[in-house]
Amino acid sequence: MKRAFFIIAGMILWAFSAGCGPDPAEEKSATPPAESAPTTPAVSPTPRAYPVTARTRKTYQFYCAQCHGAEGHGNGINAPYLTVPPRDHTKADYLETRSDAHLFTAIQKGGLAVGRAPCMPSWEHTLDESTTHSLVSYIRELCRCEAL
Amino acid sequence: MKIPKLCLLTGAFLLIAVTGSAGALASPALVKEKQCHTCHRFASGPAEKEQSAPDLFFAGDKFQKKWLENFLQHPETIRLTGHTRDPGFLKGTPHTGLHPVLNPEEARQMTDYLMSLKTLKESPPLNLPALSKGKRVRVKILFERDYSCIACHQSYNLTRQPRGGVSGPSLIDAGNRLRPEWVYQWLKNPKAFVEQGRMPLYHFDEETLKRLTQYIMFHKKDDPGK
Ligand code: HEC
Ligand code: HEC
Ligand code: HEC
Repeated sequence: MKRAFFIIAGMILWAFSAGCGPDPAEEKSATPPAESAPTTPAVSPTPRAYPVTARTRKTYQFYCAQCHGAEGHGNGINAPYLTVPPRDHTKADYLETRSDAHLFTAIQKGGLAVGRAPCMPSWEHTLDESTTHSLVSYIRELCRCEAL
Repeated sequence: MKIPKLCLLTGAFLLIAVTGSAGALASPALVKEKQCHTCHRFASGPAEKEQSAPDLFFAGDKFQKKWLENFLQHPETIRLTGHTRDPGFLKGTPHTGLHPVLNPEEARQMTDYLMSLKTLKESPPLNLPALSKGKRVRVKILFERDYSCIACHQSYNLTRQPRGGVSGPSLIDAGNRLRPEWVYQWLKNPKAFVEQGRMPLYHFDEETLKRLTQYIMFHKKDDPGK
């Protein structure tokens, strides 16, 4: 009974201490992945100027699907092992609350840079800006939503 | 006594031929016999469809000899969802089945051959000391937080249980398996080994490269360290 409590308490601590697979004691400096107001950076991309092409889809399959899943449901092969689940890119209710600029920065700079979990890596040295814009367009296609 | 110049020259030449990077041994009959080449690439170039196992043309740069010889006799799973080229990779159900097992004599011969396969022009020994406990905690934060490495790679948690993502090769025995010089080069420029990998590219500074290499080399199954 008591033990179960500690295990559960431990799990909660773990989940909120915001490293990607952190050991609580070591993660003091981590920003919790709270559903708080995101930092919206001052980039003003116009993603629809970057249409979704066959290359965009291929890029998503190659890099993103290992966590976000082949259809973007957030159920990729790494998903069961992450402390914060990969975002479901088909769900509009969260994604419509985020601007395209926010999504762009999340992809380029990683989760931490937008106050989200560090399990989301930074792709700025892997993907150029236009590819990243087209991925934002693709996520809008997956969620069938636009920023409110 | 005077040693003839020619003798010295030939000696030096022989030495270079044996130790130089161009010293790849001839592919032993064992490779064909055991069909290693149907799954692995032994030379760079486009992979054939079925070659969905790790590339071996830089095996001599990458592996520690002792680990390699043991692996060939007792293969173990390193990539829990298969190689990134495996058609079942994204589903977590790799198509390649059991790995061939070599007997000790075959393993010795194969290891000598594999250790002669190199692509790095030069790979001076790094001679990195083990990280102090304090530094290790700091690098752990880089590994698990700043660079998201743990989202794709198995590492150890505080109670030494493997923990982390599975799309990248498990690192829990990397300190016995990989050469630190190779790990360093991989982190610096993975494209030198894999044209396009699923791991993000990073631009690490020299200090971070060394720290991460030291941190990865600390991962040993049989040695919990201090
Ligand atoms: C190693 C696993 C991993 C990979 C690979 C990955 N992501 Fe993520 N991603 C995550 C996780 C985990 C989250 C959730 C972060 C959170 O909710 O705090 C996330 C969140 C996101 C978000 C939403 C950010 C927010 O506000 O919550 C976007 C957009 C995104 N990812 C796009 C991508 C794209 C595009 C790729 C491929 C280039 C990609 N991701 C690759 C793990 C990953
Ligand atoms: C049926 C396909 C297949 C055949 C045949 C095969 N291998 Fe492998 N080999 C694999 C796969 C798949 C892996 C990756 C296993 C893992 O990571 O879990 C592997 C891993 C390895 C590794 C470790 C590589 C690394 O980067 O971790 C070595 C070394 C190796 N094989 C050597 C050989 C040799 C030598 C032969 C021939 C005697 C051979 N293999 C035959 C599929 C094969
Ligand atoms: C999005 C997933 C992902 C992230 C994040 C990631 N890696 Fe990788 N890593 C991989 C994959 C996949 C491979 C195998 C190479 C390939 O086929 O693309 C790999 C290969 C490696 C290897 C070579 C292992 C071997 O046996 O061949 C090392 C070392 C490594 N990564 C270390 C790191 C470090 C350190 C970090 C963080 C700085 C990191 N990785 C971040 C996916 C990832």
